[in-house]
Amino acid sequence: MIKGFSRIRLLALLPWPKPPGGPHRSVCHVCDTLHDAQPLPEGMAAYCQCCGTVLYQNRPASLARATAFSLTSLILMVVVHSFPFLVMDAAGIRTKLNLASAAMALVNEGSPLLGVALALFTIVTPLLLAGGLIYVCCPLMFGRVAPGGVLVAKWLNKTEPWNMIEVFLLGVLVSLLKLGKVADVHFGMGFWAFGVLMLCMAAAVAGIDRDELWDRLEVAKP
Amino acid sequence: MNAPLPRGADKGLAGCHTCGKVSPVELGACPRCGSHLHLRKPDSIQRTLALMSAAAALYIPANMLPIMTVTELGVVTENTIISGMITFWQTGAYPIAIVIFTASILIPLLKIVALSWLCLAASGKLHPSPGMLGKIYWFTELLGRWSMVDIFVVGILVALVQLGNYMTITAGPGALAFAGVVVLTMFAAMSFDPRLLWDRLELLRLASPQLKKEDT
Repeated sequence: MIKGFSRIRLLALLPWPKPPGGPHRSVCHVCDTLHDAQPLPEGMAAYCQCCGTVLYQNRPASLARATAFSLTSLILMVVVHSFPFLVMDAAGIRTKLNLASAAMALVNEGSPLLGVALALFTIVTPLLLAGGLIYVCCPLMFGRVAPGGVLVAKWLNKTEPWNMIEVFLLGVLVSLLKLGKVADVHFGMGFWAFGVLMLCMAAAVAGIDRDELWDRLEVAKP
Repeated sequence: MNAPLPRGADKGLAGCHTCGKVSPVELGACPRCGSHLHLRKPDSIQRTLALMSAAAALYIPANMLPIMTVTELGVVTENTIISGMITFWQTGAYPIAIVIFTASILIPLLKIVALSWLCLAASGKLHPSPGMLGKIYWFTELLGRWSMVDIFVVGILVALVQLGNYMTITAGPGALAFAGVVVLTMFAAMSFDPRLLWDRLELLRLASPQLKKEDT
């Protein structure tokens, strides 16, 4: 195995490749203005000449960043789901809450749809996003596409807006204020992990530009 | 900047909405990712209006019906979004009252108004000013998700407060209606195609060459 090691080329450290063929063009998705897609130095962004929307940007060490932050997010999810999120003492009863139990409680208390929505936006979507990003970006570092990688990359786009971790965190803070008079509530380990998870997910999603990801996917070998 | 910049649709080129690759629209599907190619989102205005009307209709029960029911020592109180906000205001928690008001009442209303305005402008009933309207569009896209906060609050309270006879909280029908409003307005914003605004501007420009370029 050592023999092949030197031959592994970390594409993550190679510049953003241009797929074969051309001319390389970019269309602004807001105003439809056509541009020549010039290669960018790292850390730079290309803006639409007509309306100023960001067309694409070359983020430094993008694949490594997306992979690392997604992996961290997955680990944090384990912590979030295995430790209590909030602990409440009221009327001599101690109630421990985590995300899954909140969704289950809604289902059991007669609001199954709300329970499903809560689970979708705070558990399922983040998991799919982080898992999908690893599945696509990690093999890409070696210039490879995992089987079905293109399909996963397509779905990454679609799931992104439904990831509502930060909104849930605001909801927790509002709930605490509502319960302030009724009960004694304190944060569990899960809550702090959730806060860090929010930051990691944001960093993971912001890790790689869409155009760069797809250009790399196009030149990658199966 | 004086000469109009070339646009994708003029050359029959479509940017793939999934992967961004620019290809001739007659291919039908993106050669890179297989997504359906189109110059403009299909039936954008009708879809946006339909989803938005449904959201506007749900907005009424969402605010009228209780979002949660609190049973404390046998006494049942029903909370609507507005009553919850007023309680915060009366107890002096002004910042949180403002947050709830903004996220639950103002943003959905603004979204409905903004999307109607965008649809009117895109269909040529109003003068399109893509620069400003684009900002409004971007703003509604950015803020739409935060309206979910009330639904999450209800979820957390229902899960935490199950204290038998002392106090229990259950979700009310208003919560479901409100979740519907948020999801529908998100879909409505996604189905709107801002390029239609620029198409209108282009038509205006072609109709009167003297027209000064809009401040964009």
